[in-house]
Amino acid sequence: MNEYAVEIGHLTYRVKTAFTLDDLSLRVPTGSIYGFLGPNGSGKTTTIRLILGLLRPASGSITVLGNAVPARAPAALARTGYVPEAPHLDPTLTVAEAIWFHSQFYATWDAAWAARLLDDFELDRQRLFGRLSKGQKGKLMMLLALAQRPELLVLDEPTDGLDPVVRRDMLSALLEYVSQRRATVFISSHLIHELERICDWVGVMDNGRLVADVEMERFKTGMKRLKVSHGPTHTEGLPFRVLTRSPTNGNGTEMWLVRDWAPEMAAAVTAAGGELQQVIDLDLEEGFVELLRSFRVPRTREAADV
Amino acid sequence: MFRAILYQQWKWTRIMVGLATVAGFAVPIFSVRYATRNMEHGQAAAFLDGVQTWGVVYPALAGAVGVLIAIGVWTADHRGRHVYALTLPLPRWKYVLLRFAAGSVLVAGPIAGVTLGSVIAAASISLPAGLHAYPFALAVRFALATLVAFTMFFAVSSGTARTASIILGGLAALVVIQVLLAATGLETNILMPVLNAILTVPGPFAIFSGRWMLVDV
Repeated sequence: MNEYAVEIGHLTYRVKTAFTLDDLSLRVPTGSIYGFLGPNGSGKTTTIRLILGLLRPASGSITVLGNAVPARAPAALARTGYVPEAPHLDPTLTVAEAIWFHSQFYATWDAAWAARLLDDFELDRQRLFGRLSKGQKGKLMMLLALAQRPELLVLDEPTDGLDPVVRRDMLSALLEYVSQRRATVFISSHLIHELERICDWVGVMDNGRLVADVEMERFKTGMKRLKVSHGPTHTEGLPFRVLTRSPTNGNGTEMWLVRDWAPEMAAAVTAAGGELQQVIDLDLEEGFVELLRSFRVPRTREAADV
Repeated sequence: MFRAILYQQWKWTRIMVGLATVAGFAVPIFSVRYATRNMEHGQAAAFLDGVQTWGVVYPALAGAVGVLIAIGVWTADHRGRHVYALTLPLPRWKYVLLRFAAGSVLVAGPIAGVTLGSVIAAASISLPAGLHAYPFALAVRFALATLVAFTMFFAVSSGTARTASIILGGLAALVVIQVLLAATGLETNILMPVLNAILTVPGPFAIFSGRWMLVDV
């Protein structure tokens, strides 16, 4: 088994003359649930389409389950389940027909589990796909992706715009499958709190760049806001990364946004001549927002190199 | 896989295939019935004219069947912007081949209709000496014309809307240029060479031109 289910190396993708993705490198550990975060237009869906072989990169490499994509995309897709942002099945097929149609393409199709999920999701077999609600369409897409027993699940905002009950049903089915099969999940979402609960790895995209790619726990515990007085001019020697510095008032006190923080690093601030007054925790959403903000506003005093 | 794709295409085209099959069956029978009104008065030439009047219906039907089935087999994919199709685990050429094969099966309905109708129509009349009926030759020609139309428009439909727009836009541009040339009094005809190249041997649509008759001398 490969160490990484998805490996992207120095990937560049452009639309006409504009860069959509520029030198993107990313690795999704096998067996992980990888949360893929980023604002609208940051390149999440484009990255997913590249992973699935729907788009051809200008340069760089993509490997999915050991298969080079797009050259060996069919072999990768045979072991990959995909839930798109916008369901795109034939609207004239009934639910039962759509399931049958999909099953014909996958040797690993699990009909018994598909039938169970059909009941769990309370989907009407005879209803046309085009007449399903958004939530029902989402459930059907999840059913199709799970019943093919994939080693990798690629989910592009699968629960976006769905009500909490439907979201819970879909995520329950997903987690049950992952716990049974130790499958890898690559999930993009705007619902940060949802990802916080289920993901063990997180990647953050902004403007076509991957600005963070860390274990979820490390991301959550490592993102802090520090209140520092008389901070040093230069922070290169510190064991954590300073993303932004902003003065809080005129008495030399600053608020630092930092990454890779650990409690034992407090002494390093003192050693550098500063005085650490307070360490403020950030949840994933705050950390995500602050991280993006740090890449978009001019950093004060000293541009931290991230 | 083939069964699944055939079933899906059948759902999209079944009404059109059904109507075309009925029409294909009816045209030879009606053409002969229409023409035999004149034959009762012993006018063989009028009989031939009567059958020939219907001759234009066969290539028109073949073209319509080919075009509509070609469009129908891609409609579901176009609606989903091909995302679902492209995420299925098979090479693109194989997927296109499956779609083409399934579409070709659907084309068989109207072809069978014309074959059966022609055989019945030919058997239902007593032809004057010197006239012959060619039910199978007509059916084979109809089949080839239908498959030509299906193949050409299958290729066009398989592309993006942009590709189709470029092709149709090119044809429209030719017509506009010809109209402008005529308006300015120039005798240059740019459409005719194009039409000749397409509609005469060895043009791709040559099979549509010429005489289409169930009965001939």
